[in-house]
Amino acid sequence: MNKNVALIRRTPGAIVKRNEIAESLVTPVADIYETVDAFVVRLDMPGTSNEKIKLSIDPDRLSIRAAVGTLHKEGTGFLLSEIGQKAYQREFNLGDGIDLDRVEAVYADGVLTITLGKTDAMKSREIRVN
Amino acid sequence: MLVRFDYPRTMNSMLDELFATDVRPTRSVFPAVDITEDEHVFQVLAELPGVKKDDVKVAFENGVLTLSGERKPYQIPDDARILMNEMRTRAFERSFEFGFDVQSDKISAEMSNGLLRISIPKAEQAKARTISVK
Repeated sequence: MNKNVALIRRTPGAIVKRNEIAESLVTPVADIYETVDAFVVRLDMPGTSNEKIKLSIDPDRLSIRAAVGTLHKEGTGFLLSEIGQKAYQREFNLGDGIDLDRVEAVYADGVLTITLGKTDAMKSREIRVN
Repeated sequence: MLVRFDYPRTMNSMLDELFATDVRPTRSVFPAVDITEDEHVFQVLAELPGVKKDDVKVAFENGVLTLSGERKPYQIPDDARILMNEMRTRAFERSFEFGFDVQSDKISAEMSNGLLRISIPKAEQAKARTISVK
């Protein structure tokens, strides 16, 4: 197999200090699936933490925002910078059928999982063919 | 296993509205990596959301650091219906050649919050030194 190896070395001008990199807003990748009694939204958000995640939900909209903050120590020089300084932000429209009192969120392994419970009316709308 | 979900997809009108989202994420190389250095150490930081510690391999050989592993699918109920599928389960491998002398026997790695952090201490002769003028 021909491996693609990136050579890491110092080239003039390649080393940037952390404070020269501007923070950008990133739309996290998401999966959504539906079960009998809930909708589950999963978002890839590596590098944040419970305290930095801000979730808001109203009958129309689910909003997710999370800061990542500083990933590197002060005074380090970059030899490769692909991650950048960023914050995550994404919004989803919601329709009828979400029980706002049954919303739970768990952050693990860099993935935020939000479970939105369905209302009883929404559950009964399901017609399963067996 | 997840199936690809083509967006937008016509379901009943309520579900079309549900979870509609204007902004689509951009895809990039996986995993994204930062490499930094200070006086004593190179730090390699890789974004590996949804990847378990046991599914990651870190190797250093002949000056080349290789991160490899697999993002495996997560469990969902058998009767679940996929509404959106942007996450990719896949094997990954990235290699970086360090053109510096390092202490390869003292490399350490840890994972937390979907970030893999690898520390590669510099060899003494690779550290920048201040030479005092006599």
